[in-house]
Amino acid sequence: MRNVWIIAKRDLRAQFNSPVAYVVLGGTMLLLGVLMFVLPHMAVAGVSIGGFWEIDRATLDEMFTCLPPLMSIFVIPALTMRSLAAEKGSGTLELLITMPVKDSEVILGKYLSAFISVLILLGLTLLYPVAMFKWPWQLGPLDWGPVWAGYLGCIFFAGAGIGIGLMVSSLTESDVMAFFITLGALVILYAIGSMVSVVRDWHVLGDAIAFVSFQSRYQSFARGLIDTRAVVYFTSVALLCLLVSFRSLESRKWS
Amino acid sequence: MSNDVMIHASHLSKSFGSFRALDKIDFDVKRGEIVGFLGPNGAGKSTTMRILTCFISPTSGTVTVNGHDVFDESLQVRESLGYLPQRAPLYLEMSVLEYLRFAADLRHLDADMFRKRARSVVEVCGLAQVLGKEIRHLSHGYRQRVGLAQALIHDPPILILDEPTSDLDPNEKAEFLDYLKQIGQQRTVMLSTHNLAEVEASCARAIIISRGRIVADGPLDEIRAKSGRVRYVVSIQESAAGGKYRGRGAPPTKGEVEDALGKVPGVGKLTELPTDERAHAYELVSEQDVDVRPEVFQLMVDKGWVLLELHRDAQTLEDVFRSLTIGDERRNRTLTATTDEGEDEEEEESEEDEEDEEESDDADDSPAEDVKAAKGDVKAAKEERS
Repeated sequence: MRNVWIIAKRDLRAQFNSPVAYVVLGGTMLLLGVLMFVLPHMAVAGVSIGGFWEIDRATLDEMFTCLPPLMSIFVIPALTMRSLAAEKGSGTLELLITMPVKDSEVILGKYLSAFISVLILLGLTLLYPVAMFKWPWQLGPLDWGPVWAGYLGCIFFAGAGIGIGLMVSSLTESDVMAFFITLGALVILYAIGSMVSVVRDWHVLGDAIAFVSFQSRYQSFARGLIDTRAVVYFTSVALLCLLVSFRSLESRKWS
Repeated sequence: MSNDVMIHASHLSKSFGSFRALDKIDFDVKRGEIVGFLGPNGAGKSTTMRILTCFISPTSGTVTVNGHDVFDESLQVRESLGYLPQRAPLYLEMSVLEYLRFAADLRHLDADMFRKRARSVVEVCGLAQVLGKEIRHLSHGYRQRVGLAQALIHDPPILILDEPTSDLDPNEKAEFLDYLKQIGQQRTVMLSTHNLAEVEASCARAIIISRGRIVADGPLDEIRAKSGRVRYVVSIQESAAGGKYRGRGAPPTKGEVEDALGKVPGVGKLTELPTDERAHAYELVSEQDVDVRPEVFQLMVDKGWVLLELHRDAQTLEDVFRSLTIGDERRNRTLTATTDEGEDEEEEESEEDEEDEEESDDADDSPAEDVKAAKGDVKAAKEERS
C-alpha cells in the first residue's frame, strides 16, 4: 500500500506542477459561482440552475445540482486523462512498471491521486456555504444535513466517474482521446437521467435507464437523502472500472 | 543451476499475433559479466529485455533472474534489477532530484540510504550540475544519465540497459563505456546496442540475435573467428620509381604476380586493390584455419620480388555481424518479402535503419552487392507490373 501512496503523491505533484489542476479547480469554482449567482433561475435538461437570489431560501440545492455536470464535462476527464494514457504514450509506464510495484498498486495510485484532487475541489466549494451562512455573512439559517448528504453524493459520484475516466485512460494512448471519451461517457451516463420522465411509460426501458443513470442515482443525495442503493451502485461502478483498468494494464504482457 | 548464473533464459519465445519476435532462444549470463546484446533493429533485443524486466510475458519458455522466475516472482526479479529502457522515458515535469527520490521510494530505500546512494550515483553519472533542473529542460545525453542513475540508485546486482548510448555524443559515449567497465566489476550488465565498436570496447561477450534467433553467443574472439574467412593484404613492388630496385632481376608484371599468388596453397579468392604504379596490391581470402603468410613469404624469396606489405586483416566484429544478420537486411529491402504484423516494430525504427544502410553502402563487400541486387529486384518487379 505504501507504493500506492508514493505513486499517488507523484501524480498529484505532477498535476499541481502543471497548469491543469489550477485551470480545473479555478475554472470549476468560477463556473459554479456564475451558475449559482449570476444566471437567472432556469431549467436546463430537467436540471434547475441559477437564481440563488430569486429562490430566496437558505439552500445550496443549486450548488449540488451543478457540481455533478461540472465534474462530468470538465473536472473528471481533465484529472484522469493523463493517468495512464499519457504514460503509455510517452513510455514512462515502462519504467514505472519495471520497478518493484504491482500493477494493482499503479492503478490504485492513479485512482487515489485523481480522487484526492476531487476532494480538494470539494473542499474548496465548502467556502460557499461557510462564507454565505457562517462567516462573514449570515444569509439565513442553513440546514447542514442536506449539505453533508450532497457532499457525500458528490464523493460517490466522483468515485464512479474517476473509475470510468481511469478505465478509458487505460484503454487509450492519447490523453486528448481519453479526455473526450471520458467526457462523452460521463455526459451520456448523466444525461440519460433526463430521459427518465420521457420514457417512464416504457416500463422496462425506463427502469433500466433510471437504474443506469448517474443523475437519477445522484438526485436523492442532492435532496439530502442518503440512498444505500446509490451508494452500492456508484461503488460497484468504481470497482468494476478499476478491475477493467487493471486487466487492461496487465494485457500489455500478452498482446 | 549454479549460483553464479544471474540470468537464465531457456526456450524463450514471444509472439505478437502471428509474428514471432523471439523463437526459442536460450542464454545464460553469469555474475560479473558484461554482455553485449546485438542485433539489427527489430531483431528482438528490446522484446527480450522487456521480458527480463517483467514488462511483458513470454509466450513460452522460462526465464529466471537472480534465481527468481519472471512470472511467479516478478517483484523479486524487479527488485534485483536496474533497467534503463530505450530513450530513457522519464517524467519530464520532475526535477532530477525528485525523480531519483521517487525511484528510491519505490525501491524502499530509507532517507539515509538514499542520501548515500544518491551521492554516489550523482558522482558517477555526472549529475551534480543538473540536480535541481526539470528533466524536460535537459539534453538527451543528460536524460540518459538520469535514466542510468535511477537504474543504479538501489545498487542492483543486475543492470539491463536498452541502447544506453544511442543519444550520447562521442565524448559521453567514451565516458559511459569506461564507467560501464567500472560498475561491471561487481555487477552483471546486459546492454543492447547496434553499435559494434561499443561492444568491442566494453564487453567480453556478445550475443547476436537476428530475427528472433540467437545466431552467435560467446566471447568476442570466438565470434570473430566464427565466420571463418580471413583476409590478407599483399603488396609487391612494381617499379623503383627512380630509386634502386632491390629485387632480383626486373620487377614483376601484373600478370606474373596474379599468376603466382593464385597458385599459393590455401588462397581462395584474389582481388586487386587500387594502388599507384609503384606497387601491385592484392587482397587474398583464405580458407578457414589456413595461414597463407609463410607461403607468400616463401614465394617472394623464390621469385626475388620485393614485398612491401603483408598483413592479416582480422575479421572485424562488424563483418561478422553483417554476415550473420544479412538475412534481415535482405528482407527489409525486397518488396516481395511477406508483410507480417511484426514489421511495424521495424518501421518505428526506420530512421536508424537508414543510417545502417549508409554504412553498408560504404563497405565494399557483399552487403553492398545485396543492396544492388535487391534494388534490381524492385526494378524488375515494377517492370513486370507495368
